[in-house]
Order: sequence, then structure tokens, then C-alpha cells
Amino acid sequence: MIVVKSLSKAYGKQKVVDNINFCISKGEIVALLGPNGAGKTTLMRLMTGFVEPDSGSVSFFGEDIKQNRLKCLSQMGYVPETGFLYADMHVYDFLKFCAEIRKLSKADFAQNLKYVLSALDLKKVINQKIETLSKGYKRRVGIAAALIHRPKVLILDEPTEGLDPNQKFKIHNFLQQYAKEAIIIISTHIMEEVEAMAQRVILLNHGKLVKDTTPQELKTLFPENNIAASFYKITNDSEVI
Amino acid sequence: MSAFLSIYKKELYTFFQGTTAWIVLLSYILLSAFITVFIGGFFSLNNSGLFSYFYYQNIIFLFLVPALTMRLWAEERKSGTIEFLLTQPLSLFSIVMGKFLAAWSLCLIMLCFSLPLLLYMEYNFITDGWNIFWAYLGAILSAGALCAFGCMISSFCNSASGAYLTGFLAMFCLIFFDFSKIYDWINVEKINNFFVSHAAYYDKHYMDIITGQISLDNIIYFVLIMVLSLVVNKISIEYKRN
Repeated sequence: MIVVKSLSKAYGKQKVVDNINFCISKGEIVALLGPNGAGKTTLMRLMTGFVEPDSGSVSFFGEDIKQNRLKCLSQMGYVPETGFLYADMHVYDFLKFCAEIRKLSKADFAQNLKYVLSALDLKKVINQKIETLSKGYKRRVGIAAALIHRPKVLILDEPTEGLDPNQKFKIHNFLQQYAKEAIIIISTHIMEEVEAMAQRVILLNHGKLVKDTTPQELKTLFPENNIAASFYKITNDSEVI
Repeated sequence: MSAFLSIYKKELYTFFQGTTAWIVLLSYILLSAFITVFIGGFFSLNNSGLFSYFYYQNIIFLFLVPALTMRLWAEERKSGTIEFLLTQPLSLFSIVMGKFLAAWSLCLIMLCFSLPLLLYMEYNFITDGWNIFWAYLGAILSAGALCAFGCMISSFCNSASGAYLTGFLAMFCLIFFDFSKIYDWINVEKINNFFVSHAAYYDKHYMDIITGQISLDNIIYFVLIMVLSLVVNKISIEYKRN
């Protein structure tokens, strides 16, 4: 279980994450929604310990990330929005590097490598240099790197950006399967993705949590019966909540 | 330990996978051969301790070490991979050490190219083993201090080219400026003691070691530069992260 308690972060005078609280249980796929600058990426960075909060705490399965950072990170796979790959490495070497960091045994690496290559359809590019890959493949290599140790928590910042519809479909299916044994948090702008995958939506606006609900409930909040319309109305008029 | 090793191996891999290591090694061979033979007068001096080779090492390091260290942090920041790296279950200390030791290792590989000269000397002249040992020790310590210093400079910068230029200028000052003279300039106290008056002069410490006049303060000086640079490097990454 992930517990986020009274989490706040400000850059200068601007509060980018403002007193956020929520819990996520095993088996959930949670979509972090919000307009640009709502605080989604900062929230993810706070959850991964990359940025330290001004106040509040994040705990993974009872362990506080500030006190037990390495233990929490070892249970987590994270794909940031950008810069998640070393362009001058080959795909195999990069995945091996990730496995070494995670202290995987050779046998576990071989087994997990087989799993991620087949799940993310990466067999064709395993010996290619990362800089030569298309955007879609780069995204998938990033997800493979986050999955190489089969984490209990997977945090993905806009994971399907740059993917074609077929690739998106495959990733959605894969993540739904993977969620049976893990917690998945994704940040996205794509409403169809939220409806297709997420069991829960956490909506942020101006750094505040403005709605914590299910995609179905979010859809039916307004007469338009449309998740995008609800998103628009909520984020443009937080008073409605 | 294994976490540190994986960073160390990855950095060496990156050096050799790209062109950095090859360019630096080739430049080192050409520069050191030219300087040793034509400027150092290798064939005209009594080289019982390879003095003409080691005398100019700091000048060669001045050009090449910033090229090795410039990418280590600046490129991580520029490409955004620093977020990936710092969200792995690795302590910042092991990342800092892994990167520093990878750069230092490459300097040790550079120094291995002096072995043909050493063999030439061994076969043709009577060499002084201790002189050679001290010279290598001095070069190894100097390379380590400059690598740590370069890593620290790289952690301040947002681009590799900026890190090279800043590193070059900062290392130039570090090596050739006798910081002990600051005491005289600010007239705190006239210091006549030889050791104290040269306590912060890099080149003097280096020369002491390679000429065999080594003392503990020479070693402490280089180790201190390494430790302080790495500590500042770590603090800089932590500070910039937030």
C-alpha cells in the first residue's frame, strides 16, 4: 500500500503540490490527471524521492521514503517523462545495467529479460543502440527498464506518449495484466487511456487534489456524460466540487 | 559495493562506447610523446627516473582530464537522465564514487602508455626504481585529484562544453597558482616557513613527489583535494535536485 500524507512542495512562493493525501492499494491502476502545471510530475518526483517535500510523507508498504529511501526505491519502477534512457547504450546493455543496479542474479535477469522483451515486443531491437530507436521503442525500453526487477509499484509519467494506437493498445493490456500483482500509477493527458485502464482517477489542479474518484463517476458528473468535459469543467472551475 | 561497481562499469562502458576515451587516449599518446621527446629532451637528459616524461604530466592532464570529466554530471543533467539515476536504489555516494573512479581509471590507462618508455630505459640505462615509483605515484595522485576536481566542476554545469571550459580554467588556477601567496597579499602574517608558505601550491607538491622529496603533507594535499571535491560534488547534486 502507498500512503501519501499531507504532502506539500513549493518552488519559491509558488506551491506546486499543496497538502495532498491519498492511499493506493495493491491491484489498483491509478491515473493522475490534471492540466499542464497541475503538479502531476512534481507529485511523482516526490513519491520517488527525487525531490524532497517541504512537509508531509510518502510511505511504501509501511516504509517511509525519506527514512528508507533505498528500500522503497528497490520496490519501485519509475519512468520519468523525459531522460529515462542512456542514448549511447545498447538496449541489452542498458537493461543489464538496470538489473545490476537492482542486484538481480543472472538467472533472474535472464528470466525477467525474456518476460519484458516478449511483453513489450522488444526482441527485434535488443542489440540496437538506443539513440537509433523510434520514439515508441524508446518509451517501451524505458518501461522495460522499470520492469526488469518486477517491481511492486510502477510509476509512469505519460507512458504512452509518442506511441501509435497499436502500441498503446498493447501497453494498456500489458499494464492491466501487470496490475494484478502490483500498484500502477500513471500520469496522462489522454482521456481514452484513463477510461481504458484506470480503476481510479486522482485529479489535480493548481497543486491541489480536487477529485479522487473512478473514471465512471468522473464521466457521469456532468450532463455531457463525457470524461473530457468533466475534466474541463472541474479544472476550469474548482468551485464545482 | 555492487551498486558502485555497476555505475563504475557503466561509465567506463560509456567512455569506450562513444569517442571520448579513444580521443583522449590518442591525444594523450601524441601529446606526451611530443612533449617528452621534443620539450622534455628525453634523449638528451639523464632520465634515470623518467623525469622528462613526468615533469609535464600536469600540463597534459590540464587539457585531457576536463574532457574525461565534463560529461559525467553535466550530460546527465542536460539529457535528464539524472532523474532516472537518482531514482534508482543507489546511494548518492556510490554514484559519485563510481563516476570519479571510472575517470581516474582512464587516467591510469593513459599512464600505462608510458610503459614502452620505461622498458626502453630499463634495457638501455641504469634506472633508479624508487625514482620511477615516486614519479608514478605523483602522477597517479595528481590524476586522481584533478579527476575529482573535474567531477565537482561538472556537477555545477548544465552542459559538457561549459564543464570543459570551466574545468580547464579552474584546473589551470589550481595547478599553477600558489594559493599560499594569499597569506602575503592580505598581510595576515608574514610566513617564512617553507612548508607552510607552499602548503597550497599544487605544482610544488607534485614536483616534490616526482623528484623523490616526498613527505606526508604532499600525499595529504592530494587526498584532501579528492575528498573535498567529492564532498562538494555530492552536496551540489543534492542541492540542485531540490
